[in-house]
Amino acid sequence: MENITLTSSPETPYFPEVNFDIESGKCEISGESYMEETYKFYLPLITWIKQYIETKNQKIELIIKLIYLNTSSTKCILDMLEVLKDYQDKGGDVKVIWYYDIDDPDMVDEVEDFEVESGMKIELREFE
Amino acid sequence: MTDQATINQDLFKRTLLSYRGPFYIELISVFGTNIKEFTKEYNNSRRKLFRIFIELSQNVSYYSEHFHMVNNIQRIGLGELVLKEYETFFTFTTSNKVKNSDANILFERCKIVNQSDQLELRHLKREQRMNSPGEKFGARIGLIQAVMLSKNKLKYKIEKIDDKFSIFSITVKIDKN
Repeated sequence: MENITLTSSPETPYFPEVNFDIESGKCEISGESYMEETYKFYLPLITWIKQYIETKNQKIELIIKLIYLNTSSTKCILDMLEVLKDYQDKGGDVKVIWYYDIDDPDMVDEVEDFEVESGMKIELREFE
Repeated sequence: MTDQATINQDLFKRTLLSYRGPFYIELISVFGTNIKEFTKEYNNSRRKLFRIFIELSQNVSYYSEHFHMVNNIQRIGLGELVLKEYETFFTFTTSNKVKNSDANILFERCKIVNQSDQLELRHLKREQRMNSPGEKFGARIGLIQAVMLSKNKLKYKIEKIDDKFSIFSITVKIDKN
């Protein structure tokens, strides 16, 4: 297993920046997410989390700093949260933190929906 | 709306963006950046308009029955979009070709969305996202999301072209404040 590092580019703002770190177990996704074939982008990230859980069996922290995600991306994030919830239910140490803009109540509603749909507790933090 | 209010809205009306052709992601992204720029003085509607723009444009890209194949792999839908500004609101319209059988499904889906209040829409969205097949099918909640964000009813129209196809048009109104 290796770290995943994807940097964002002004030419492709529809891809988010990704930093998944195997040592710390911190998995950060930031920027905007509205690419085509969303699942092709997110599947390797979900697979990485599954492998991390199987091989490392340590604390994992998902940190979301997305200012926009289209509805296809929300489905992929939900899949990711379900994997984490399953790990937590089996005794895994999981933390999910979601950063939001104070002027963006729609994003807070979205996070509440994710909590209901996945059963995963999500800590909301304001962007500084 | 009163007659005078309608006249005022019409006097102010202007087209900010109009396009007909293939809905490539690169193009959608550039238009989206321009929309953020056009609407930067309206902090609340700016964000909503961008999000609705992306959802409805990607619906055209994914589902239009008039499409291009890129390298025999990628399917890019063709259609039309129009963004208009009025005195107190924006309207965003997309139009694309659909099968007549799908037109009936879309018509019913729009009807259900328009009949639902915000709480019902939220439940519907959760239910559909959880039960959607995922992968290439996405979440199939773009229309619900558009109404939840705008808090206005959809305007939709289906015009039959022939025995097989129709043009499906959808308009969302986004209040400036």
